[in-house]
Amino acid sequence: MYLQPEIIVITTAFAVLGMEMFLPPRHRPWQTPVTLLGLAIGLAAVVDLMIRGEGEFLNGQFRFDGVTGWFKISFLSAGLLTVLLSADLLGGRIKAVPGRDRGLLYRGEFYTVMLFNLVGAMFLISATNLVNLYVCLELATIPLYLMVAWRRGDPLSSEAGMKYSILGATSTGALLFGLGLLYGLTGSVDLLTMGEQLSFGPATKLAIAMVIVGIGFKLTLVPFHMWAADVYRGAPLPVTAYLSVASKAAGLAFMFQLFYRVLGNGLADVSMALAVLAAVTMTLGNVVAVVQTNIKRFMAFSAISQAGYLIMGFLDRSGAPSMVYYMLVYVVTNMLVFGVIGFYLNETGREQIEDYRGLARTNPLVALAMMLGLFSLAGIPPLSGFVGKFFLFSVASKAGFHWLVAVAAINSTISLYYYLRIVRQMYIEPGFEDDPPIRPSRSIVTAMGLSTVLMIVLGIVPFFYETIYEQSRQWMAGAF
Amino acid sequence: MLHPPTLTHWLALSALLFSIGLYGIFTRRNAVGILLSIELMLNSAVLNLVIFNRFVASGDVDGQVMALFVIAVAAAEAVVALAIFVSFYRHRHTLDVTEANQICHPGNSTP
Repeated sequence: MYLQPEIIVITTAFAVLGMEMFLPPRHRPWQTPVTLLGLAIGLAAVVDLMIRGEGEFLNGQFRFDGVTGWFKISFLSAGLLTVLLSADLLGGRIKAVPGRDRGLLYRGEFYTVMLFNLVGAMFLISATNLVNLYVCLELATIPLYLMVAWRRGDPLSSEAGMKYSILGATSTGALLFGLGLLYGLTGSVDLLTMGEQLSFGPATKLAIAMVIVGIGFKLTLVPFHMWAADVYRGAPLPVTAYLSVASKAAGLAFMFQLFYRVLGNGLADVSMALAVLAAVTMTLGNVVAVVQTNIKRFMAFSAISQAGYLIMGFLDRSGAPSMVYYMLVYVVTNMLVFGVIGFYLNETGREQIEDYRGLARTNPLVALAMMLGLFSLAGIPPLSGFVGKFFLFSVASKAGFHWLVAVAAINSTISLYYYLRIVRQMYIEPGFEDDPPIRPSRSIVTAMGLSTVLMIVLGIVPFFYETIYEQSRQWMAGAF
Repeated sequence: MLHPPTLTHWLALSALLFSIGLYGIFTRRNAVGILLSIELMLNSAVLNLVIFNRFVASGDVDGQVMALFVIAVAAAEAVVALAIFVSFYRHRHTLDVTEANQICHPGNSTP
């Protein structure tokens, strides 16, 4: 049995839904601890399975090994941190702005939809079959449309949901056409058999291009990134945070499955296209982020540029551990930054970058956490973001893409400029006159503390990277 | 005498369907029209799967099974998208996607 984590998460989802149906409203806040508990037990189950080793289940249709374990850990921790982030909003702790609905309703359903989405992502990385892969990818996408449009009273939320669902469905159509072509070229739906059968011709290139459309949408690679800024801006903040990490991690999981298992032998043929895609993605993300004034849009473009760094790992076969590690780092770092943004938005209703002025005087610890998170995203040495970027850049240089490393280095400098803009607002600019210190709620403090600690630990304790490296090598050996 | 259509004919049909869907997405202004065009794209992909099942891997039914799954998932997708359209319509009283520009509006500074 290798399904325990998924079964635990599904059971939690139904338990929360049951509580929504049968409990009186005053007891419904208990859904939050139940969800947290379920996710924590799920995490423990994944770690337990990883210690016990790898294996297959359901006649080889479901595979568990080290790399899938790390993916599941990052999905589950993203879910856990999202639940902590959303507790304030769902509990109604929010500064009211006249004329705007800013709360988040239907606690139980929100958690249920999120947990199903998590399960989809968790099955996605374990699937060994094209049919499972497709269905899981959809399960990891469709609930997100709902979550983005969750705030029914807010016109921005439903507008964001509409944009997201239309563009998402379009990219799915292209992706599915590509998958159909791959099936036709290989005559099999088993991913490893497909990889053995696949030969490179014009039709294969067309299929790969179609598949990249679908992946590019999920990972916000550049020609397919248009939805990101509007959707990040319009969605409720915990959903934005979840979208920026879980959806991206699911996209990466899908890319791992297709690029390493199906295209394994032809990876070198597409590396030039991927390098160009990475360069364009990080450059556009960074350049546009410089001029943003809204912090949610700003984070959208920051996320786009991070996706550009992330796919550099596909340029060489040895890149898998760097990507898994960077994704883990990205999840905790981004959740930390979104934790601070969410906290500030809930308590004061402010979400412009210049509104952060003086935060270091009213809430020095929160400002410090935000600064550490932003420095990690920019890649300042002692923090984990630097380590992750270092490994990714070395993958690109090992594959011979020195120009790309140069582009990435220039981009890191640009990104430092705009991340420092926020730090400057927090530490140097004079604050609002009459601002008292804000007391954060317990759930937000837990989320911020947890992600800060994880972010620092991931960077300075070599255990994580070494374990991921060792397990990725075994995974790659099995993939070819 | 009439020849039965070959793989190329069928693939041309699915490519045509896909292109019509894509064209519809780019030209339609009504969100429901766009959704219809997306369904056309998905159906061309389904057709692809069934065609390849028939001509390339006629020994098994994997392609047909996947086609069934795709149809079911497409239905789920349509349900979610239509629910979101209803929610959008309640605010704007239109489904014209060119009107969906409130997020980018500069005056919209409060969350």
